[in-house]
Amino acid sequence: MATFGTNLQIAARSLIQHRRRAIFLGGAIGAVTALLVLLNGLSTGVHETMEHTATTLSSGHVNVGGFFKVSAGQSAPVVTDYLKVLDLVKRSVPEMDFSVQRGRGWAKLVSDSGSMQAGVSGIDIKDEPEFKSVLSIVSGNIEDLAEPGTILLFEDQLKKLEVKVGDAVTVSAQTTRGVANTVDCRVVAIARDAGLMSKWNVYVPMVTLRALYQLSPNTTGAIQIHLKPRDQPNATQIAGRLRATLEQAGYRMMDADPRAFWMKFDTVNREQWTGQKLDVTTWEDELSFLTWTLNLLNVLKVLLLLILIAIVITGIMNTMWIAIRERTREIGTLRAIGMQRRGILWMFLFESLLLGLASATAGAIAGALIAAALNGAHIAVPVSMQLFLMSDHLHLAVHPGAVVRAALMLTILTGLAALYPSFRAARLRPIEAMSHFG
Amino acid sequence: MKPITRPRSHSLPARLVFGLAVMLPLAAAGLASRPAQAAKSKEELVKILKSVDERQNSQGDWHSHIYMEQKEKDKVDVVYEGDVYRRSEDQKFVILFTKPKASQGQGYLRIDQNLWFYDPAVGKWERRTERERIGGTNSRRSDFDESRLAIEYEATDDGETKLGAYTAQAMTLKGKPGIDLAFPVVKLWVDKDTLNVLKRQEFALSGRLLRTSYYPKWKKAYSESKHGDTWFPEEIRFYDEVEKANSTLILIKEVDFKPLPQNLFTKAWLESKSR
Repeated sequence: MATFGTNLQIAARSLIQHRRRAIFLGGAIGAVTALLVLLNGLSTGVHETMEHTATTLSSGHVNVGGFFKVSAGQSAPVVTDYLKVLDLVKRSVPEMDFSVQRGRGWAKLVSDSGSMQAGVSGIDIKDEPEFKSVLSIVSGNIEDLAEPGTILLFEDQLKKLEVKVGDAVTVSAQTTRGVANTVDCRVVAIARDAGLMSKWNVYVPMVTLRALYQLSPNTTGAIQIHLKPRDQPNATQIAGRLRATLEQAGYRMMDADPRAFWMKFDTVNREQWTGQKLDVTTWEDELSFLTWTLNLLNVLKVLLLLILIAIVITGIMNTMWIAIRERTREIGTLRAIGMQRRGILWMFLFESLLLGLASATAGAIAGALIAAALNGAHIAVPVSMQLFLMSDHLHLAVHPGAVVRAALMLTILTGLAALYPSFRAARLRPIEAMSHFG
Repeated sequence: MKPITRPRSHSLPARLVFGLAVMLPLAAAGLASRPAQAAKSKEELVKILKSVDERQNSQGDWHSHIYMEQKEKDKVDVVYEGDVYRRSEDQKFVILFTKPKASQGQGYLRIDQNLWFYDPAVGKWERRTERERIGGTNSRRSDFDESRLAIEYEATDDGETKLGAYTAQAMTLKGKPGIDLAFPVVKLWVDKDTLNVLKRQEFALSGRLLRTSYYPKWKKAYSESKHGDTWFPEEIRFYDEVEKANSTLILIKEVDFKPLPQNLFTKAWLESKSR
């Protein structure tokens, strides 16, 4: 233990003695750690924003949806007799925090000035306090969405429809039996854009959606199950279990397909069956068409970090080689006065680890502070980047665990990079080391 | 291959001429309407509908060349050219697009009550609803198919009205229970003398007017299989009543009733047309 302490002391003093080199190398390690924290923060931020947006606007953590086919070629995203399904869900998913039911549809919105195709979600606004708290209303009153024949739009949609609160919009679609139908809706609220999801989503009261598609009151689009926070990472396993439970209860299930419900129409319409089939998906399935942004971001992050880490490792190894060369006679003297090879190895290793720990910790803290400052500045991102970041402003999610992991990772990497030079230093023969010039 | 000929009355002055010559008198029909002598009985209306259907049905094979022009607000006009094939016997139906180049080889095939769409660009068949908008225009499959008004709808009398120079029998048609129709309610104006359809208005379930169609030109051709004349509209104009600026013009040309090959109403035939 005394030797350990001595080696540690020698390593610390050596760092102080060669402070210029230590500061230079430590600065590089700190910068890479800070960058790692920021990139992780960006990736986690996009993931969290995506999950939050998805689970607020269009999905639960787990969903029970499905299709009803009047004929082989005519499908509708509908769950019939949903209260029975909901009852089964409540009994078989103890991890459920709460659930909501949403209508699903695709329709043409027509105003006096323009038109657009949009996903129409039916919502019972009185049952969804979370929805109200998440959306930022720029005009109108979201509570009015409780009245039949009303509609909530997002700011971006105003460019096409050119309407304001109080104006009328005609929603035109085909019923589940393919009959043309329309409902006239009054715009009651306009919400601030909530990333990409809000570009094609509008909300009408559930009763209005049912009137448009001629659905009975015991029919819905999907049961959205929101899990307790600690169970949210297990959404995939819970979805698998629920699928098996529903199958055992006698429901016809669709094959597991990790895609958004609207991407399944082609497949469903090609199949010959008619009647009801249920489908269980997670929020990630419903957003599968967007997770490429996250995957791309992760690939870029890994590539960038690999390059930076390679540079840092090369830098550390080079610096260690120079240090060993400069201190060859010192190594020889230490060996001559009785220090063992293991002692020399630990001395150099400690030097790197100390440098790594100090600079990586400083870098990680700096990264976390920069992230907090960027979040505080509420930096708006260009529209083209909103597609990528799923948000209209920059959001970095830096968690303490991620900061500690980044600091530890860089410290260990620094130690590993110093391992080989330290071995070489420990293997020097004292007589040769003492007579070394240069 | 014939070049695409832009349909007449495409330019603004021509459209105005059409509006004055046909649209305004027809639109003014409501003002000029006068009560019929006596309300027609259900049987009489069914008889009229059956006559309308019978006059248009070839009772055999049908081939025609079609031009479709779609006008939409803030969009470039799109002109399609293609061929329609149909067989009365088993209600088979094919539309094959030949122009524009982007749509060349695309087509619809109706077999066993299923409407399929083929896109050679992806080489895939997609099952579509029978109420599909053809080529994204405001026309439906039923606009090119045999008339089945008497089978699909029940009529109520709206009296006789004047549509320009024509005296028309107006009636409201409601879809029969159990039959899936794109438009559950239709108002129809039938020329009293010729029993040709002059005007048609289609409504949504909600009662909102969705589409108004005008049939300004009718033509007849002799059908061997029918042993008589078959009437067809040479020109149909659809006006979108929800998006007021959108309209579709259909021209039906080169109609013939020669027997079609047996393999024509197959997926393989439609696929072979784009190879």
